[in-house]
Amino acid sequence: MEEKKKITAREIIENYDGPKLRIMEVCGTHTHEIFRLGIRNILPENIELISGPGCPVCVTPVGFIDEAIMLALEHDCTIMTFGDLVRVPGTEMSLAGARAKGARIQPVYTPTDAYEYAKEHPDEQVVFLAVGFETTTPSACMAVQMAKKDGLTNFSILTANKTMTNAYRALKGSADAYLYPGHVNAITGAKSCEQLADEGIYGVICGFTAKEILTALAVTIVKLQEGKPFFKNCYPRVVTQEGSISGQKMIEETMEPCDSEWRGLGIIPESGLQLREEYAAYDARKKFALPKVEGKPNPACRCGDVLQGKCKPSDCKVFGTGCTPQHPVGACMVSNEGTCAAWYAYNR
Amino acid sequence: MCVGLPARVVKVKDGTALVDASGAKREVSAALIDELDPGDYVMVHAGVAIAKITADDEEETDALLEDLL
Amino acid sequence: MSKTVTLAHGAGGKQTAELIDQVFKAHFANPQFTSDDAAVLNIGSEKLAFTTDGFIVSPYEFPGGNVGKLSICGTVNDLACMGAKPLYMTCAFVIEEGFPMDKLEEIAAAMEKTAKEAGVCIVAGDTKVAGKGQVDGVFITTTGIGQIMDGVQTSGKLAKPGDAIIVTGDVGRHGCTILLARDEYGIDADVDSDCAPLWGTVESMFSVTKDIHVVRDATRGGVGTVLYEIAEQSNVGIRLNAEDVPVDGAVKGVCGMLGLEPLYLACEGRLVIIAPKEEANGIVEELRKGKYSANAAIIGEITEDMPGRVVMTTEIGAETLLPQPGGELLPRIC
Repeated sequence: MEEKKKITAREIIENYDGPKLRIMEVCGTHTHEIFRLGIRNILPENIELISGPGCPVCVTPVGFIDEAIMLALEHDCTIMTFGDLVRVPGTEMSLAGARAKGARIQPVYTPTDAYEYAKEHPDEQVVFLAVGFETTTPSACMAVQMAKKDGLTNFSILTANKTMTNAYRALKGSADAYLYPGHVNAITGAKSCEQLADEGIYGVICGFTAKEILTALAVTIVKLQEGKPFFKNCYPRVVTQEGSISGQKMIEETMEPCDSEWRGLGIIPESGLQLREEYAAYDARKKFALPKVEGKPNPACRCGDVLQGKCKPSDCKVFGTGCTPQHPVGACMVSNEGTCAAWYAYNR
Repeated sequence: MCVGLPARVVKVKDGTALVDASGAKREVSAALIDELDPGDYVMVHAGVAIAKITADDEEETDALLEDLL
Repeated sequence: MSKTVTLAHGAGGKQTAELIDQVFKAHFANPQFTSDDAAVLNIGSEKLAFTTDGFIVSPYEFPGGNVGKLSICGTVNDLACMGAKPLYMTCAFVIEEGFPMDKLEEIAAAMEKTAKEAGVCIVAGDTKVAGKGQVDGVFITTTGIGQIMDGVQTSGKLAKPGDAIIVTGDVGRHGCTILLARDEYGIDADVDSDCAPLWGTVESMFSVTKDIHVVRDATRGGVGTVLYEIAEQSNVGIRLNAEDVPVDGAVKGVCGMLGLEPLYLACEGRLVIIAPKEEANGIVEELRKGKYSANAAIIGEITEDMPGRVVMTTEIGAETLLPQPGGELLPRIC
């Protein structure tokens, strides 16, 4: 019997010699892993990978940081947050800067740990900074539901939660195809991206191991060459068609869609989530009657263009000079997985 | 986004699961997964098991490539 | 530089170097001022190594040691890295009012035990007590002096293209242990600190050959930071093979959960050694006989190209740069 020689994902990628393809990896962890594995260095010249707006730290607007600092310094709140938000620059300072002025800023692993902390420290007002996409939002909702059940009066969250689908629509045309963030789809299901294919937005759901990223890229390349509308779930061991019904329900019960500001991209309609009215007591903005904050990003910073693939980090005037991982100006430089930080670390 | 980590379920009790990722153990919420048993593998993100893992990445990617060609 | 001191200035990375350069070096600079772990001083016919280090670990006890053991190991290892046999040490304590006496005794006992193992005598000290809240528990500063072995010369400036890079064991244990001991992230793992006095390790290594170019103690900032320092000081490139870097399974698990890189977690009992390629196997063979270096491994080589950079060959065989060491270690979750 004649055995057909198996072709590897890597061969498909390395041997591609068709027209120029622009593929956007939406997810910050994908950006990070692609750099860590050196995948950019094996791409042929006619494949360009663009790092998209899927790092919640990078798309969190300046004003959100200003609000958190206001809560910490003026309302004496204990701020609990995912670690890499600590260094994101606000208008005047970052949370690390506020901590040097005496603010209580504590990184946590999960929002429910912040809820537990609040329970154990009834004399402190605890605010959790709720950033993240559909993957992360259920954990914040869970913390709020638990706090409500216990009648906790010293726990609230400052929301900047975002949803991906309308962001893909807003970014339409920035790339020929997307590598969709597998863990977002673990919650929202493959179905959420299937709809996009009907609207002319193409892509594949991508996992996170070396094999998965290479395979998803290979599938994208082959499908783009076929020239037909496409969508493929390349992460079926985690992502089901329907996604996590309980996760979707958890979000739906606790939060409702709202317009949301993306750092560098501006306001995208219906791309954010805020707490529903029945959870108003756990909404830090309402609880502490925060004024409307307009953050002022540094005007030289081109994070927005970078996130849309309109320019490379190295095209930005402050990149590598005024803006470095030690002294970030824009949010893309803050998190290790931020486009500019990854570019600075691996590619300079 | 989303650092996700595959972990083995050690124990399930009252909506929480003790998971083990190559020796690192932590209690996580099991509220998003209906049927979870010790020995299952789950994807964990920010203290929540977000999905069951049904295969390893080798099987998965082999099948995808076969399908493609 | 920022207007105030931040935690990042103490993390051992770029900002720490910036602080030292712009504040301390600017005032202290003199011909003996060193960028290595210890200063080398010629006094009479003797060649001595001289160093000091402060220890403020929280919590002050942790699996595998306490701040006392750490305060001896840190200084002994800095001397050992210069090829110096540690001889005498001094220690200064700043103790918080209310600190339990029995714990202080445990710390002192650990110091004596570790000093004995390292063959060093504690010959002078100082005690200060600060009001409640002015310090956290107990801070210890130790100073040590040692005699440099004949024919030995090590420095971060001496790495040469073609040299092999060796680590004496798995990386990131101490940093991981402290992270877990603080219990801020609710993670349990069976990890203990690698904290150990390494003079014996260094002595055995020099019994194989005196031709060792760099010996560095990878403490705060981890092996990654040390490699970048050496690349810069010697103006050479470094090529690492990611899969050859020894990392304990549980450390990997913890790092996976929190999005941290083991190469940037602190060690307190690991050396980075750079020596000619033809000596490397002999050195590793000898190291593997020692109790603190049983997992020694060659992890890469020094190159002429890419000076100042650390390039990694990744698990898929592609190349990438190890990210530059930066600021405070913060878990990456989203």
